Amino acid sequence: MLSETVKRELKRIVGEANATFAMEDLLCYAYDATNSSYMPDAVVFPSSAEEISLILKMANSEGFPVIPRGAGTGFSGGSLPVDGGVVVSTERMRKIIEIDAENLTAIVEPGVVTWELQNEVEKLGLFYPPDPTSLKFSTIGGNIAECAGGPRAVKYGVTRDYVLGLQAVLPTGEIIDTGVATAKGVVGYDLTRLLVGSEGTLGIVTKARLRLLPKPETTKTLLALFPDIKDAAKAVSAVIRAKVVPSTLEFIDSACIKVVEEHAKMDFSGAGAILLIEADGGADSVEKETVTIERICLENNASSVRAATDKYEVKDLWKARRAISPSLHKIRPDKINEDVVVPRASIPDLIAGIEEISKRHNLLIACFGHAGDGNIHVNVMYDKKNAVEAASAEDAVVEVFRLTLRLHGTISGEHGVGTTKSRFIEMELGPAVIDAMKRIKATLDPKGILNPGKIFPKAKGPEKAEFAVAGKQTQ
Amino acid sequence: MRKLVELKEELEKCVKCGACRSVCPTFRVLGRETACARGKLTLIDACMGGAIEMSEAYLKHLKECTLCGACRDTCPKGVDTVAVYNAARVDAVQKLGAPLFASIVFKNLLESGRIMDVALKIASRLQGLIFKDGTLESGLLSRFSLPVIGKGRLLPPLARQFFLETSEARGLPAPAKTGQLKVAFYAGCGVNYLMPGVGKASIEVLKKAGADVFVPAGQVCCGMPAFASGDAAMARQMALKNIEVFESFECDYITTSCATCGHGLKHMFADVLSAAPELKKRIEAFSAKVIDINALLVNVLKYRSAGKETGGKLVTYHDPCHLNRAQGVRNEPRELLKSNKDITFKEMAFPCSCCGLGGGLSIVNYDLSIEITERKIESIRASGADIVATACPGCIVQLRDGLHKYGVNARVAHVVELV
Repeated sequence: MLSETVKRELKRIVGEANATFAMEDLLCYAYDATNSSYMPDAVVFPSSAEEISLILKMANSEGFPVIPRGAGTGFSGGSLPVDGGVVVSTERMRKIIEIDAENLTAIVEPGVVTWELQNEVEKLGLFYPPDPTSLKFSTIGGNIAECAGGPRAVKYGVTRDYVLGLQAVLPTGEIIDTGVATAKGVVGYDLTRLLVGSEGTLGIVTKARLRLLPKPETTKTLLALFPDIKDAAKAVSAVIRAKVVPSTLEFIDSACIKVVEEHAKMDFSGAGAILLIEADGGADSVEKETVTIERICLENNASSVRAATDKYEVKDLWKARRAISPSLHKIRPDKINEDVVVPRASIPDLIAGIEEISKRHNLLIACFGHAGDGNIHVNVMYDKKNAVEAASAEDAVVEVFRLTLRLHGTISGEHGVGTTKSRFIEMELGPAVIDAMKRIKATLDPKGILNPGKIFPKAKGPEKAEFAVAGKQTQ
Repeated sequence: MRKLVELKEELEKCVKCGACRSVCPTFRVLGRETACARGKLTLIDACMGGAIEMSEAYLKHLKECTLCGACRDTCPKGVDTVAVYNAARVDAVQKLGAPLFASIVFKNLLESGRIMDVALKIASRLQGLIFKDGTLESGLLSRFSLPVIGKGRLLPPLARQFFLETSEARGLPAPAKTGQLKVAFYAGCGVNYLMPGVGKASIEVLKKAGADVFVPAGQVCCGMPAFASGDAAMARQMALKNIEVFESFECDYITTSCATCGHGLKHMFADVLSAAPELKKRIEAFSAKVIDINALLVNVLKYRSAGKETGGKLVTYHDPCHLNRAQGVRNEPRELLKSNKDITFKEMAFPCSCCGLGGGLSIVNYDLSIEITERKIESIRASGADIVATACPGCIVQLRDGLHKYGVNARVAHVVELV
């Protein structure tokens, strides 16, 4: 609970209209895309780094949690106010400050929606590649905090590869500028990279200098259908082995195909898996690459490979692909959604292993995702009202993690740890690594006020981490 | 219609993914979670469960919505958000005992042809006292800040002669001869009181297309504004009255040049009268005949414009939400426009984004409503068009106001006036 003094001060800092304590507002800033809900004590909408700095300084002196929030579309609970406190929304900080076509950079505020930035730079023949599935509504600030990836990561990398520098407010209130405006820079520790993917626990990003690329001349989309899921997995590895780098290489298994069919009104009957592949670049090289990809798919027993006929079909396909994750609930009421990554050559082993786990637990595990970079979204489908099923779903998830780590993978490629994975990080990270991370956190945030309850498992007290399930755990 | 409690499963379907944030016109302006569907559904759920009261803030968030349906279209889970919003408005009205806005107006519209007409007749003579001439196609600017209207808002003047009183409307006999398609024309309030020209153009083009068209007397407001205000009882009365009027004539189709009325006649009537199973057959027979004038002209009458001088160089088209999303009519108006060889057509950016008028928003919060219009006007400006065609009198009013306010020199016309 916040004191009246704190409330008054918050209003003074951001302005009366930009601080709210009303139940109606708090309820709408209590959730994120994990569909869990924790009530904050206040929501503020600052407009500058200076305002955020004052809020954080007060949080240190008065001792209340501060939770940064972009669009609230994360899958790991990064923006959930698990211990209450003040939600700092970046929704008012949505200016594209500069697009520099000479130096191929852009400076943006954190509340800019990723897709809007992409639209603006593309008008100038430029390209901002990171494309999380939520790109039409998630923000650059959130993308940076979670180090969002996306289908294009196979060729272009993830958010961290496009952040040159940041303005951020440290948990203790200092405003810092990190990184460079240049293509290179090695002066001091790389605080930019420390902040990217720190899930809002080490600072609040207030401005970002992003790297841009020239926009690829052309893009071609291929759709390959495989009767057997294992052949699709083999084709993924074969494409990479052939030294072809598609701009996206998406994998969709049979459970997800049903969802796609429904959304795109397309018929994929008989397909056990689909690969959605794009090549981009100069027209000649795109043509050559797609010919190679098509050949490899057919060699790996694809039943058909065809190019999307027009831009509307491409749009429909991607719309359907983006709808998979939120639509899976149509199959079973609840899901545990994980985003494991394995080295690309191990994709067939991962798919085979998941199939085995699925059979053994008698649970449907729906898989889709960015196979080209080894990142598969594993969705264990179950009904949480069925206690037996819920328990085996949790077991299945742990087994998927073990399998992933055995294959030298990681348990989260792009969603982050947040609240949903904190109790599993010890499976991947050794005690010395976790300890080093905790010391960094303690140095920058000695009072532990910035986004508490995330990443690190709670040593004591009630287990607050929750699986990302449909339903509410309002606290 | 389904009551709010019966829509609980729709509320539970929402997984809070946030996709609605990408399309909501209100959210685009307000930038607050409470504006988008994910937030509104949360509040409606909380109010149902008793976590919050039916507070002023709750009602404000409920009303600040154009009911455009973009969130429903984009929702990967297929949550029928508009059904939930409508039910929540009806639920609020039942608990509060008063419509959310403009109740007296609706009551009078039900009596159309009598009190309202007389009152509006007087108003049409007196409008010069409170309004001055605007700049765009002799629209009117309010001289003072008035409730509902607001200062400086460009409104179309009330017609000197209402459409349903014109010889064009009254002189048409109910069709008797066979062979031709019998088409009953439903005018709606916008055409009747504000834009009789659109009504006349509709009749003219339907005749040219070979339809035997007539305008049933006694028709009243479709009830869509009352329904948006949560006054389902009023909407029900209006629906019944209209069904009775149109039943007494034999016809193949019932058409209208108002997107909102068309959606009302085709869908809302059945929805608000669903509690009366004895009416089911009658409503089905009625709704089955309802077709938007664009769809009727293109798909049934196979009409192509023989060419018509429009007085403009470049024509663009704005999709009314109640036509595009609610009735699935997208290509037909474009086909009609393109069939006129004197028209050069250019698509604007975001043609389907809401104009900002709907759901009663322009009454509840005019400033927000016209701010939503700004994006549309920017699209029009960027298209370079000097004529904006659309197919809904509501959109026409809002677009004219917006073009005036944001200083874009383009004319708004109904598709039927251009083909």
